[in-house]
Amino acid sequence: MLEIITPLFLSLIVGGTLVGIIFGAIPGMTATMAVAVCLPLTYSLGLENGLALLLGLYVGGISGGLVPAILLGIPGTPSSITTTFDGYPMAQRGEGEKALRIGIVSSFVGGIISLIVLWLFAPTLADFAIKFSYVEKFLIIFFAMTVMAALSSDMLMGVFSGVLGVFVSLIGTYDISNGGNGELRLIPPGTEYWLESGFSLLPVLIGLFGLAAILEQAEIGVPKGHSAKDLQVGPKSTFSFAIIARNTFNLIRSSLIGTFVGILPGVGGSAASIIAYTNAKTFSKTPENFGKGEPAGIVASESGNNGLTGGALVPLLSLGIPGDSTTALLIGAFTLQGIQVGPLFIGNNPVTWDAMIVAMLIANVAMFVMMYFAIRYFALVVTIPKHILFPVILMMCVIGAYTINYGIMFDVWTLLIFGVFGWLAGKIGIEIAPFIIGFILGPSAEVYFVKSLESFGDLTIFFTKSWIAVVLWLLIVGSVAGSVLMARKQRRMSE
Amino acid sequence: MNITRRTLLAAASAVALLAQPMIAQAQDLPRNMRLVIGSKSTGGDTYQASAMVADALSEKLGINIKVDAVGSSEAFKVLSRDKRGTTIMMFHDQAYLGHLYGVTGYDDIFANYNIGPTVAINPGNAYLVPADSPYQSMDDILQAAADGTRVRVAIQPGGVSEIGFSAMKNAAKVMNPGSEENIVAVNTGSQSDKNQAMWDDLADVINGSIQGNEQFTQLPADDEKAMRFVWITARPETLEQAPEAGMGGTSRDEMLKHASPETSVTLDGNEDFTFDKEFFMLFNKDMDPAISEAIDAALTEIYDAGDIQTRQKEAFFIPNFLPSDEAKAHLQAKRDTYGKVIEQISQGN
Repeated sequence: MLEIITPLFLSLIVGGTLVGIIFGAIPGMTATMAVAVCLPLTYSLGLENGLALLLGLYVGGISGGLVPAILLGIPGTPSSITTTFDGYPMAQRGEGEKALRIGIVSSFVGGIISLIVLWLFAPTLADFAIKFSYVEKFLIIFFAMTVMAALSSDMLMGVFSGVLGVFVSLIGTYDISNGGNGELRLIPPGTEYWLESGFSLLPVLIGLFGLAAILEQAEIGVPKGHSAKDLQVGPKSTFSFAIIARNTFNLIRSSLIGTFVGILPGVGGSAASIIAYTNAKTFSKTPENFGKGEPAGIVASESGNNGLTGGALVPLLSLGIPGDSTTALLIGAFTLQGIQVGPLFIGNNPVTWDAMIVAMLIANVAMFVMMYFAIRYFALVVTIPKHILFPVILMMCVIGAYTINYGIMFDVWTLLIFGVFGWLAGKIGIEIAPFIIGFILGPSAEVYFVKSLESFGDLTIFFTKSWIAVVLWLLIVGSVAGSVLMARKQRRMSE
Repeated sequence: MNITRRTLLAAASAVALLAQPMIAQAQDLPRNMRLVIGSKSTGGDTYQASAMVADALSEKLGINIKVDAVGSSEAFKVLSRDKRGTTIMMFHDQAYLGHLYGVTGYDDIFANYNIGPTVAINPGNAYLVPADSPYQSMDDILQAAADGTRVRVAIQPGGVSEIGFSAMKNAAKVMNPGSEENIVAVNTGSQSDKNQAMWDDLADVINGSIQGNEQFTQLPADDEKAMRFVWITARPETLEQAPEAGMGGTSRDEMLKHASPETSVTLDGNEDFTFDKEFFMLFNKDMDPAISEAIDAALTEIYDAGDIQTRQKEAFFIPNFLPSDEAKAHLQAKRDTYGKVIEQISQGN
């Protein structure tokens, strides 16, 4: 075992984590892109060293997304979407550094908890994961969707916005690779050429959160030389581990939720942080503070999305099935080296398995050290004059949109269209947070709903399939009831 | 010192002379070339096959070739637009099967593009049953259909995953007309979905691959995830080129037992149906023929040198270089055969 841990092995993990953080921190660049770019290098590095690099990139890429989510209100990756809900309001009121530290500590704990689960229970959990058929997966997505109600300032408009997001996400081909029929739908005549593949998630995301915010600022006007001096990043925003201690239960629960969602192939990485956030809000004593700069929201979101990192490796290494888009690339690294992944992988490749666990552990520690102690420099981004910062963000958004699908110009148009939509939406009451959650979860919800009916016949199956379905219904009802009660309480208080 | 310099100059001149034919060819080529692929995955077999060829071609021709996983729809669009030869495409049999099955976004590649060289085969396309299935072989499955039992087969419709299913229906029709109605598709998406369909008892047979499913065939029979191969669609002459050790716990000889002729799925009562998933290039119809000629010539030298074959076999590909003209004739013949199978099972439905 010790012979694997060479200086090269360690440097690849640390270097990979750093590059991953940079990819994650640039809006439009993701952990998946970082791994894709570096995948060909692994052939010459050998399996263990190659995996060290890729796992560093994976952990760094997932973690780096919190930086722009908190400081700029633009999720660096789709899985950090819920971090913007409380991180950005905290940054706006001068607690950017504190929010970043909460996010980093939560990311670290989420990563470590998921790693422990991966190490101890991978094969057992894979056996449990296969109990989740289309029906249970749909109910998990449906449960994640209930956060739409919880995130809305006006419940009716919020739910409408969420459903609109689902509708927009379904534009394009009902993809045969997802089990669809390959037919085009919801496309206005004459636009088939552009809309055949629908709208890509990343350009929509950075359009709604990045470009729309810039357009709003442009409308208000940014005085030349304005440097956001009111946004203190230092003493005013002191971080204390007591904040984390107060959220211990939330932290563990969210980490386990992230890990569990990662274990289920096809549910999607974004769902992990959304479900963790929904739970944190449902069980919070002060749910009304969520979305306004509540540290518990950042804890839930970041521990949830980093919890995914270990979880997504469970089906990969125990079933040969990737848990998310990034781990799908890791299969390529194994195949390039002639290694099969499947139910016998761990038993047949103990050295590689140990190397992966060690690499994940070191990557999490490296991520924590690099981000926690460099935080002051990250946080300084809010002090850059906006007339300089915004054009740079805009340029990064355009480059990110163009490169996300390896150079498709329509993705840049998507960014612009949704930037304008995001800017106009606020004026007509459409709420962006539920909209984007509907957009993210819509395609999976559709596939699993349709496949459930195709496979099992009628709607009663959603209630009768298994005890897991019953538990999920209880969570759904609890989440919706919590949102309704909270809305009533807020209405009474305002009266 | 002078001698060393002269020696170096002489060596450089010799290298320049040797490299002259290739550089001359490369002068007709764009300096930067984009190899778009019909898959959005950078971890899948299309990307791997393309990356190996792109690396070798870049080195041989002295140009930059970048593989972009844009997916079939975008790849066909960008290839149609670019006549300069700065964009070429790599895909597999799905390129014409999609058209045969009428999938949106798939045109007739033989009419709309120039067919480039074939480079490799993935011999892994396979069909599996649960370990405790009553079906021990394809004969059992076809007999069950003939006896009136409904056999559910999980596939991803519209291409490579479906062609073996179509062949099963065709064989059933040839052997016992009418029995093909008892072989029914369960339309799924990814390999994960197909496996899950088996574990949920929604499918009796699933489409899979040697690479993706072999380890499940090594599990103890009482493991609920355990599977068995019943059919590997590759031609026997393709599988015979695989490493003798095979893959995982399945040797090449064991693989051959599940392929033609030992496992027979008839095409027409005389010959067996076989299917190799072959990777090949596609060029814009109006691209300068000198570019495709240069690529053919470079690949001929690359495959003559033999290094790429080693790399392909390590990743369980079977090297299969055919220059553009031969590749076109070969792929057209495959297309015609599979077209007849699809037409045959459509008649009377």
